[in-house]
Amino acid sequence: MRITNNMIVNNMINNIGKNLARMDKYQQMLATGKKITVPSDDPVVAARALKLRTDVAQIEQYKTNVEDALSWLEITESAITNVGDILQRARELAVQASSGTATEEDTKKIRQEVEQLKNQLIKLSNSTYAGRYVFSGFKTDTKLMDDNGFFNINVNNSEAIIFQIGISDSINVNVTGGDLFNGGAAAGAGTKGKLISDFDDYINALDLGDHSQISDAIAKIDENLNHVLRIRADIGARYNRLELTADRLDIDCLNFTKLMSENEDVDQAENILLLKTEENVYRASLSGGARIIQTSLVDFLK
Amino acid sequence: MSSFFGFNVAVKGLFTAQRNMDVINHNINNVNTPGYSRQVAIQSASNPMSLFNGTGMLGTGSEVLAIERIRDEYLDYKYWSENVSYGEWSAKKALLADMEVTFNEPSDSGFNAVINDFYNSLQELAKDPSNDAIRALVKEQGVTFARYFNNIASHFEELQFDINNQIKTVVTDINSLGAQIAQLNKQIYTAELDGNTANDLRDKRTLLIDELSKLVNIDVNEVVVGKLPNGKDDKRMVITISGKAFVDNFDVNKLDIKQRANKLNKDEDIPNLYEVVWEDGNSLSIRGGELKGLIDVRDGNDGENGSPQYKGIPYYIRKLNEFVRTFAKAFNEGIVGSDKVAGHVDGYGTNGNTGIRFFTMLGTENKSISSADFMASGDIDAAYEMLTAKNFAVSSDILDNPRNIATSDTLNEVGNIGNINSILIMRNNVHMFKEGAPEDFMKSIITTLAIDSQQSIRLSSIHRNMIEQVENQRMSDSGVSLDEEVASLVKHYQAYSAAAQMINTMSEVYDILINRVGL
Repeated sequence: MRITNNMIVNNMINNIGKNLARMDKYQQMLATGKKITVPSDDPVVAARALKLRTDVAQIEQYKTNVEDALSWLEITESAITNVGDILQRARELAVQASSGTATEEDTKKIRQEVEQLKNQLIKLSNSTYAGRYVFSGFKTDTKLMDDNGFFNINVNNSEAIIFQIGISDSINVNVTGGDLFNGGAAAGAGTKGKLISDFDDYINALDLGDHSQISDAIAKIDENLNHVLRIRADIGARYNRLELTADRLDIDCLNFTKLMSENEDVDQAENILLLKTEENVYRASLSGGARIIQTSLVDFLK
Repeated sequence: MSSFFGFNVAVKGLFTAQRNMDVINHNINNVNTPGYSRQVAIQSASNPMSLFNGTGMLGTGSEVLAIERIRDEYLDYKYWSENVSYGEWSAKKALLADMEVTFNEPSDSGFNAVINDFYNSLQELAKDPSNDAIRALVKEQGVTFARYFNNIASHFEELQFDINNQIKTVVTDINSLGAQIAQLNKQIYTAELDGNTANDLRDKRTLLIDELSKLVNIDVNEVVVGKLPNGKDDKRMVITISGKAFVDNFDVNKLDIKQRANKLNKDEDIPNLYEVVWEDGNSLSIRGGELKGLIDVRDGNDGENGSPQYKGIPYYIRKLNEFVRTFAKAFNEGIVGSDKVAGHVDGYGTNGNTGIRFFTMLGTENKSISSADFMASGDIDAAYEMLTAKNFAVSSDILDNPRNIATSDTLNEVGNIGNINSILIMRNNVHMFKEGAPEDFMKSIITTLAIDSQQSIRLSSIHRNMIEQVENQRMSDSGVSLDEEVASLVKHYQAYSAAAQMINTMSEVYDILINRVGL
């Protein structure tokens, strides 16, 4: 093939241009740490990157949802534990009052304490989480009970507050007021919950000093205690499930982040090596080119 | 035989050497002239003289018969046909790269980030529906989400407008090139009437056709129409575009642009786009070159409405419109395909309002319209048909009062999140689009664009390489080699010196003959 001066110049320019383009690509990968900057660099990597980013963002959101669900349940559980303690104490007092050795003075003191316990129960029924009443079902802006222990609102047992903790995975984070304070029945506005009315009966029995009625109260307290224990067990189960979900989400998050990195991050060691190689090629082609284009026959004619 | 025969022959030698050096001089001068083909002097021995005494023929020296350009015209044809494809794909490459950047993916500020932020704010609201600060956040994230589509649609419209202007410029360029080629045809014809070859003019014309072939699909022919008085072929150059003569020897049939009375893509195009036609009014279909690249990207709607079979700007606008319509319908009404779940209209805000749509559209003065105005016609399908990526917006009801965001499925239950949960679950509903969930749909749009863009990069680089190849062959054939020219210069210089020496010798011969003999 006949080679002309301009062919050499043009080929050199083209080749050096291609060298530079490759160097630019490696340089860009070095600077951004990413294999691709626009989807057309590699549509497959780009599509996967889009999917993985969504997955990671969703998992992180589910993680905060699980944390919030746990706090909500913790508040609920501590309120319920307190209710259990109150019932326990009320039972102890009832046993004391029903024994034949209790004097009238003792009964009066017991009555006072039971009255206090009842008030505490009413307070507990209005426990809040971040300003919201946890036992009021969906009416989280309203107290469950008024100061006298009457329900302010209707709370149906179906008023479950459900948090999303995964794609098509959710958990109920609340216990409805009726379930806890009305022996499992729905709470009706203006009525008194079973738990409170049982306390009223108990106080009434203490006022009368009627031992058989106090014994009845013990039976009712036992019944209520069992009911509270059932709810606590249920909450415990939910708590366990949430903790397991939190662990699983942590692992998922780690895995997906790792996948995301494998998918789009550059292996810098390899990249630097390639960049260096490309740099050498570039230098070589520059010095070679400079040598070739400078000389022609003209240089050797005197 | 003239007594001065030897002188004459030597002088011819001087002339021949000089003519050769002139040609070399011209070649060296044009070593860097684009499109220049090297020229050679065709040299031959001049007609010999027969001697009377039967001793044979006596040579009479040399002469230059013609100056020819070295050019393989087959390579020109090859170059033009490659350049048509290169023009088309390099135009597409540049435009698709621009469109790709618009989507800004993958990044921390693209669609993914926007939709993630929006849904995350809804998740937060589900956990604390009575919190006004979170409601305001949901409103703002909703606005960002809607603006993302507004921005892309506006950017695409601007791009379509720019491409339209580029088409106008390209058509002007094509016409100007055509006029110059026709002018050169005339000059070449006149120059070649006496049998010469107009080397430099032909080079100039080839260079213009090189440029033209990048812009539009052309076929170039030199048609023989008869014989010239000197016996050579009478050739006319005809350049056709899609079968109709564009340059016909000395005449040009120009192209023209005409504003379309009706949009090609009714829902996607901006108004008054140009149609490229012949100046005489005939319609024209462009089959290649930069002009086709521009038209495909400007009009391509994947063959819908008789548009080019290419995924250009209208295709992506159509897809984005489809996205906002389907998405808003699902989010607002809870309608996913033929299924109906609880959507935003079915729920209650913390202020007790219901029947409000979260997303509506921009009305006059680019202000969001209210849910009631949006559904004024009462026809759900018709209302959502009005929605486009450009006018997609959060409804004024939500903007004015975020308490209208419908979290509850029952009146006056602030803690009730039945409705918002139903909306949240829809995010992962793979039946919303035939491509899947909302993110899958957007992913498929972006991937389609990425693959098309990658294709245009590859094809334009393949055609670029082929052009370089042909260009190399052309330069190998027609380019000036300085070494060659200088060597040849030395050769002819020496011939010239020798011829001069010959004159000296002859002079001495006559000196002896005239001055010294017969004294």
